Amino acid sequence: MQAGIIDFLQSLADGVLFGTTYAIIGIGFTLIFGVMHKLNLSFAAASIGGAYLSLALLAVWRAPSLVLLATSAAGGAALGVLVFLSCFRFIRADNALAPLMATVGMLLLIDEAIAHLTAGVPLRYPALFPDVMLDVGPMMVRSDLLFVFAIGCVATSLLMWLLYRTRVGIATRAVAQRPVAAALCGIGIGRVNATTFALAGALGGVAGALTGTAVGVLSPLLTLPITVKGLIVTVIGGLGSIPGAILAGLLVGGFENIIQHFRGVSERDLHVMLLLFAFLVFRPGGLFAPPAGRD
Amino acid sequence: MLAVSNLVTAYGNIEALRGVSIAAEAGKVTCLLGPNGAGKTTLMMTIAGILHPRAGSIRVADTEIAGKSSSDIVAAGIALVPENRLVFPQMNVKDNLLAGAYLRRDADGIVEDLDRITARFPILRQRADQDAGLLSGGEQQMLAVGRALMSRPKLLLMDEPSIGLAPKVVEEIFRIIADLNREGMTIFLVEQNVRMALKVAHKFHLIEQGRITFSGEPGALADDAVIRRAYLGSAPATG
Repeated sequence: MQAGIIDFLQSLADGVLFGTTYAIIGIGFTLIFGVMHKLNLSFAAASIGGAYLSLALLAVWRAPSLVLLATSAAGGAALGVLVFLSCFRFIRADNALAPLMATVGMLLLIDEAIAHLTAGVPLRYPALFPDVMLDVGPMMVRSDLLFVFAIGCVATSLLMWLLYRTRVGIATRAVAQRPVAAALCGIGIGRVNATTFALAGALGGVAGALTGTAVGVLSPLLTLPITVKGLIVTVIGGLGSIPGAILAGLLVGGFENIIQHFRGVSERDLHVMLLLFAFLVFRPGGLFAPPAGRD
Repeated sequence: MLAVSNLVTAYGNIEALRGVSIAAEAGKVTCLLGPNGAGKTTLMMTIAGILHPRAGSIRVADTEIAGKSSSDIVAAGIALVPENRLVFPQMNVKDNLLAGAYLRRDADGIVEDLDRITARFPILRQRADQDAGLLSGGEQQMLAVGRALMSRPKLLLMDEPSIGLAPKVVEEIFRIIADLNREGMTIFLVEQNVRMALKVAHKFHLIEQGRITFSGEPGALADDAVIRRAYLGSAPATG
């Protein structure tokens, strides 16, 4: 009995820590949705793409962990801007379906590009952090997961600082809330949108690298599950809410690991879908439904 | 200060402005009156660069601004207080004001203006850390005016600042307009509240169905005639 509880807590802790990556992906989805009121379905694929770019760097230079993370972030940001230019910038904003479908196309394109360039073989992703087991009372905590969590906290704090303490942040929130009034303040909406894609992409790149290091490999097969998890996190958190995405990411991470512990990996995603279903029925606005209201 | 000539703005095939010519003199309050759908807000949005004109010219202090982007127009010294205020509801009052200073790079000047504007509207200082969405209608209007002033405009456009406000608050808003003008601000005002507007205006224009149908000084037309045409238009309703 005692051992059962410890195993349970162990699964919960591992899951919540790994949930950091879901939280970051969720923040990316929610950030873009918050500013443009449009979904970017290629976001998770671009994030994994960013991580692949850091692997490309590794092929020529044995770079330290922080450089790999930064490269992945930069790659994610570049892909984010590319997605913005190809799927949003020149596509009429009043046609809601066109940019959405364009991002689906981009998701498949990034996926295919990765599959072709790597011959479809999963690539080993290096451990970015020292991988030791820490004794915490009766439990063991994987130090690399602690690092994943810490990096996630740092990245999120940076984002919050940027959004709430800088001129760029004021512009971003202004465009998200009232685009016409933002334009009347002299804020360039196109530029803010591009910046948002770059920012979200950088976060995504970080999440991609963290996923790679936590899982140990990168594979194009990761993109779809992460896309789905990211969307679930976004919906459970409340579309457009960053605190919601954080909480929902950790929640989904912990929840799926507990299910995996009790029911096995084959049933895991099924229960995550059930959790989503429960939210859609009983709390469709998510944990933090942002107030409606936009001109 | 502002000279609009033969301005045409259309939504698809429908011309909302059908050759509007209008002027606002420096240091004066110019008022535009007219019934709903006559094109008042379209004119304001076109001057501010949110809508792009199909033809015509808009000159501000001898610079052509027709068709330029809204940021260029703000940079040229024009600020619009939009209809329905459009404050950023989930942003605190201070950040709302700072958003108005977005194009400015003089950090000291911005702090100075923030001080000056919150001194003019003490309620904005009291509520500096509160979300703007929690303010009353009148307070939001003051915030929208303050936000526009933060760009240090030469010309202040105001689109129906009194709409939806209680009579006492409306008086307050018009007192603010008169104060600003006394301090030298050029104001171009769209209003539905004809009596109050004619009290502060040095000159007024009537717009009906996308055309200016009368221009003159208050008193040039009997007040009740202005009111009738401002609300109903002089031409029989079509369609």
